[in-house]
Amino acid sequence: MKAEARNAAAAVVLLALCAVPFLAGKFTVYLAMRIMLLGIFAVGYNLLLGQTGLLSFGHGAFYAAGAYGLGFFGLHVSGNPLFGVAAGVAAAILLAILVGYLCVRHTEIYFAMLTLAFGMMVFSLIWNAREITGGDDGLIGIMRSPVSFFGLLEIPIGTDRQFYFFILFFFALSVWAVHRIRQSPFGLALAGIRENARRSEFAGVPVRRYRLAVFVLSGAFAGLAGSLEALLESNARPFMAHWTHSAEPVLVSLLGGLSSLTGPLVGSAIFIAMREIIQRFTENWMLWFGIVLLVIILGFRGGVVGTLSAFFRKAAAPGEG
Amino acid sequence: MEKKGLNRRQFLKLTGAVPLVAAAGSIGGGLVFPKGLWAATPKIKGPIRIGYQAVLSGTLAGYGEFHKMGAVMAIEEINAKGGIAGQKVEMEFRDSTLKPDDAIKNARYFVDSWGADFLCGIDSSGQALALAPVMSQLDRPLMVTHAATEKLTEEFVFRKGIKQIFRNCMPTYNDGNAAAFIAKDFPAVKWATVSPKYEYGFTCWKMFQETLTKLKPGVSFTAESWAPFGTTDFRSHINTILDAKPDGLYSTEWAGELISFLKQAKEAGLFDKVKYVMLPVGAAMDVLEGMGKDMPDNIWISARYYFQYPNNKENNGWVARFHKRWGHYPAYVSETAYSAIHAYKAAVEKAGSKDTKAVVAALEGMAMNSPAGHRVFRKEDHQAIYDVPWGKTKSDPKYPFKVMGNMRVIPAKEYFNRPPFEGPGTTPPFK
Repeated sequence: MKAEARNAAAAVVLLALCAVPFLAGKFTVYLAMRIMLLGIFAVGYNLLLGQTGLLSFGHGAFYAAGAYGLGFFGLHVSGNPLFGVAAGVAAAILLAILVGYLCVRHTEIYFAMLTLAFGMMVFSLIWNAREITGGDDGLIGIMRSPVSFFGLLEIPIGTDRQFYFFILFFFALSVWAVHRIRQSPFGLALAGIRENARRSEFAGVPVRRYRLAVFVLSGAFAGLAGSLEALLESNARPFMAHWTHSAEPVLVSLLGGLSSLTGPLVGSAIFIAMREIIQRFTENWMLWFGIVLLVIILGFRGGVVGTLSAFFRKAAAPGEG
Repeated sequence: MEKKGLNRRQFLKLTGAVPLVAAAGSIGGGLVFPKGLWAATPKIKGPIRIGYQAVLSGTLAGYGEFHKMGAVMAIEEINAKGGIAGQKVEMEFRDSTLKPDDAIKNARYFVDSWGADFLCGIDSSGQALALAPVMSQLDRPLMVTHAATEKLTEEFVFRKGIKQIFRNCMPTYNDGNAAAFIAKDFPAVKWATVSPKYEYGFTCWKMFQETLTKLKPGVSFTAESWAPFGTTDFRSHINTILDAKPDGLYSTEWAGELISFLKQAKEAGLFDKVKYVMLPVGAAMDVLEGMGKDMPDNIWISARYYFQYPNNKENNGWVARFHKRWGHYPAYVSETAYSAIHAYKAAVEKAGSKDTKAVVAALEGMAMNSPAGHRVFRKEDHQAIYDVPWGKTKSDPKYPFKVMGNMRVIPAKEYFNRPPFEGPGTTPPFK
């Protein structure tokens, strides 16, 4: 796609997202917020999976670090949500450096298992340190104070409609940042590592350091999503670090498509909307949800976005297929 | 609503049972709920919508079904008699799972999308606590029918003033404090526990220890073994207890995990070696039916409602109707679900309105009769006060499972923590 067309499309989507709180009902606004949160989580995660070819099952830990980081900061230091989000992301980055340092020397299944183990370690740590974290009750009563710029300007984010724009801001920022990272020499080097790590090494790319860097970056996006969710739901809970939650960005990336920026975003939207639709028809939603996901993942090779873009390319250039 | 979660057999039974239910309703109409002057007040716009959520997936899915039986039955009976304040009642039932974010999403769906007037349900304490701030935002009453954490009512309703939350089931006071009132009369002085490794287990054990120490100075607590959620092999926990050689065992294990624990403990001979065993949720219907005749005799059990108590016309009539309708004896969540909907009915008719503010005001301090007996919603913390029995397991040829013998009832007023919930004189025993 040409750059102008792509920018125009992005602008249209952004405008549409801005219009949501004015046109849609409250519950749709809430679902849109959940989709954007999962989108931030997944689009950052896909830097690791789609771009670098590393499958992590532990990113829930960084998501939780973001949520608890914001929670503790809010309870003990300052209620300003901007600082809180910064504290959450910082906590996620620190944890990602620690875990990443120990994991990136391995690849494939070993890497996946190690991240899974570390993720579950964080989960049990949160669960058991109940004096500090509140155990399975989680951190409760996290407040949404107004965003304040050193007392000069105050923007309230108390209502859902106001908070929607707070999330939209970070969502747009994240998508733009991930887009830039993918296009940068750094991003291309990551793709090189995915295709052939040994060749990249011979070409002078410090593979392990690059892997650590992208691991920490994706952890930071997970932390951002986690801290925003803590503000949205006013709580942080241990299950954020559980492997079932770590599997969500994997699933939505597969659903939407690993090889594009938009894949995980589309996947997030499908994941949340589909579940909501199915739940309106049946209480056995898990079964039907599973079947639908299976059909999409098996039926759309390269994810929904991958399949559709291949289809349109074919349609645009008949005879070349 | 009713056809989805039920199997075909139950559905056929339902269609065949309509005249039966109607008949039972007219005969067993001993249910007395306070009636307001709703007929004279401006008309309430119907239908009245109740959003109910409980766990319908995973290992505890059975609890969701039990909730549903009670709720569906209440709504059928109410609608058959003209609804609430003349308006039809509608219910939507959703799977809450056990995750707080799912519970929040459901609550938002119920209120913002479906247009619920009232919410009900909630099994996990974590969910209840996470929902509290959301309910004040959504501004709809939520009647908690299972989650027991005392923090919900003490912290959120009393201290933080979130008025939308009510609870009509027993809080942890029965599991912790009342157990101590029963235990003080045993000769046992050395106590140990195998309990769930999460807040519920920790809180109850702490409450039990504190209250028992006050009631009977000199008791000691020798061993604790915490079983994580999802434990199936309890052997190491049982060995910890056997090694400690306590006189008494206290356990807040519940549902399927309690069944596994009891079966394995019986095999290990624990009930021969430990004379006094207390299970605060051992009289839950799923445990009694699940254990059947394998349930050891002479262990002390309780629950948040037990189908043979109180032994009066209202409760016995309800249990009979329930059994006819569903082929089961009511679980405690069936009773709380049924009574929660009746509480809303009574409150709406008393208030003459279904607006949150009016209904909250009507519920505060409201007294009602229900299958579990007389309930009063305490004004300060919105906790329903009612009595439940403790008793010793024994066989009864009338039932395929063990029932409660030697029933003892400690009045709830004597062991419920009292506002302001901190400082002396707020925890039992009260002088």
